[in-house]
Amino acid sequence: MSVRHIWAVTRKEINHIFRDRSTLILVLFTPTLVLLLMAYALTVEIKHVPLAVLDYDQSQASRTFVRQITAGQDVDLYAYARDMDEITSLLMRGQVKAALVISSGFAADLQSMKGLPVQIIIDGTEPESGNFAVQHIAQSAEQFVNTALAGQLRSAGISAQSLQPLDMRIQTWFNPDLKPRNDIIPGLISMVLGFPALSVALTLAHEREHGTLEQLLATPISRTGLLLGKIIPYIGVGLLNVILIPALAIAWFHISFNGSFALFFGLSAIFLFAVLSMGMVVGVLMRTQAAALALSFLVIFFPGFFMTGIFFPLASMPEEMRLESLSLPGTHYAIITRGIFLPGVGMDVLWPYAVMLAVLGVAFTALAALFFRKKLG
Amino acid sequence: MDEKPCIVIHQLTRDFKKTRAVDGLDVSIPSGELFGLVGPDGAGKTTTLRLLAGLLDITEGEAEILGFDLRTQAEAIKPHVGYMAQQFSLYAELSVLENLRFFAELFDVPRADLAQRAARLLDFAGLSDFKERRAAHLSGGMQKKLALACTLVHQPEILLLDEPTTGVDPISRREFWDILTELHIQGVTILVSTPYMDEADRCSRVGLMFAGRLVRCDTPRRIRETLEGEMIEVQAADWQAAHKRIDGLPGVREVQTYGESLHILVDDGQKRLPEIERALQEANIDLRSIRVAPARMEEAFISLIRKMEAG
Repeated sequence: MSVRHIWAVTRKEINHIFRDRSTLILVLFTPTLVLLLMAYALTVEIKHVPLAVLDYDQSQASRTFVRQITAGQDVDLYAYARDMDEITSLLMRGQVKAALVISSGFAADLQSMKGLPVQIIIDGTEPESGNFAVQHIAQSAEQFVNTALAGQLRSAGISAQSLQPLDMRIQTWFNPDLKPRNDIIPGLISMVLGFPALSVALTLAHEREHGTLEQLLATPISRTGLLLGKIIPYIGVGLLNVILIPALAIAWFHISFNGSFALFFGLSAIFLFAVLSMGMVVGVLMRTQAAALALSFLVIFFPGFFMTGIFFPLASMPEEMRLESLSLPGTHYAIITRGIFLPGVGMDVLWPYAVMLAVLGVAFTALAALFFRKKLG
Repeated sequence: MDEKPCIVIHQLTRDFKKTRAVDGLDVSIPSGELFGLVGPDGAGKTTTLRLLAGLLDITEGEAEILGFDLRTQAEAIKPHVGYMAQQFSLYAELSVLENLRFFAELFDVPRADLAQRAARLLDFAGLSDFKERRAAHLSGGMQKKLALACTLVHQPEILLLDEPTTGVDPISRREFWDILTELHIQGVTILVSTPYMDEADRCSRVGLMFAGRLVRCDTPRRIRETLEGEMIEVQAADWQAAHKRIDGLPGVREVQTYGESLHILVDDGQKRLPEIERALQEANIDLRSIRVAPARMEEAFISLIRKMEAG
């Protein structure tokens, strides 16, 4: 392996990246674009869930209950239904996502404190909206009962100051407002920074398709030298994104960045080495760009999305999948990114993940060199 | 010139999935020879050159280049060989000079020599005025000359050139061959494949490939001589009718068409010329010219290929 050979290939690749417009756009702007789109798509808060009400009680109390539920922005009263058939039809046509059925005797049961006879039906094809409505109605009901109880006690001459059974005070650390963006965006950043792996996966097939590989293979360059020469420039370009993307996240989404940027930069370089080597394994296995693209999606992007703990906690994965997760550079990098962004932890906490990334990088490079043959056929 | 064998090939064979592209090739090329590989498309010329450049695995047989075993020491041979692929295979988005530098570095050309050598090669290839131009924006002929310059940058002892002049205009083709002749005089061993018979004529030895086999291997003169008899060239207004009339006349072995002229291989030129002339006049075919002409590589080649195809 000769440093001069590696540098010659690296310089050639850099020229290629900056002179070929489509490659430049792919490496420099796709991560930013995907981050913006996904950050907006994934952090939309649920509001205005349409609700149908079937009120068999038709009392003052039941009407007050419904008014209280639909007072805010969370749940909107879509319609009062006449019967169950109408409820069914509203749900089937998707006009409402949840329905509330109030049995007759609601007012009487409230009076005698027997528990409220209500039924909630939700549309299971859109569980987020349905569950949100259930939570909201349950909260409203609790308040409603408490108010009614306090009124009864007061009229019986008892002061109603100690009605709360528990005095819970929840403290949320690291993300005090529990804003989903603060949690999801660092995860997304760790994902989009791995995108140059795709370009690396395509680079050998690109040379094969353009015929340049034939001339390249006729030179005495070593296999590892050639592969490293092709990985290194993309680490450089990836590091431009490591500066650009957190800057964007902080300026645009007002994400807090509590750790050391130098540490983030350094660990990102190790991550890029690991994930780009993984892209190179795909690159040496596939002969055409189309095939390399397909395999990249299969083994880099989908697992990177679903198996790195960005959206689904690692602990909830089946045992076999957890092992596979550990072989993905994104898994370790997602922990590093979140750790540095939110609690702002340092190397004392993150070193095991940094070591894992370095090990994966060396392993993937070795694997790529093992599979790569300096032959055409 | 040194007569020590430079490339020794024994029963070289390469199979692809369904076809045997190269079939038991045997040839020995001495140092300093300019060896031309000719044959119809699909004869196995490109596969042979790729095998010798170490770009394909050998299925059977062996080859030795400069004493290195091609099967086990392909990487050790590469610094001594300059290989030029048939299709343009340089980096289109790099400039002329950047391409040259790239290959110079991969072939470990000493840094101190690099600038001087690049300048000399660009001058040699007539590209000095286009140093900064991207390879994508060169003409076909200039691209071929740049590819040759990149192939020569490490001063290889052996050149493997796969149809280096295909798709190049006649003047560039002549210039390219002047360069090759100069390298030949300098003592470089050259193995070049070509579809052009006038180029084959400039080689010191020619190998004719057909269906993966080397069917003839000799000097151009002796290959021309294998063409038995003599050649009569006929130009007629209606050459198709003339072709029909001449076919089957006594003493006529073969008729080949070249554009609108007919090349007729006969046993005895002086004897058959008046007979053919009379036959055409009797058939009322307007004869423009008829003469006995020396046979070229091309006629010999086509005649040999026809014999091969006939079985």
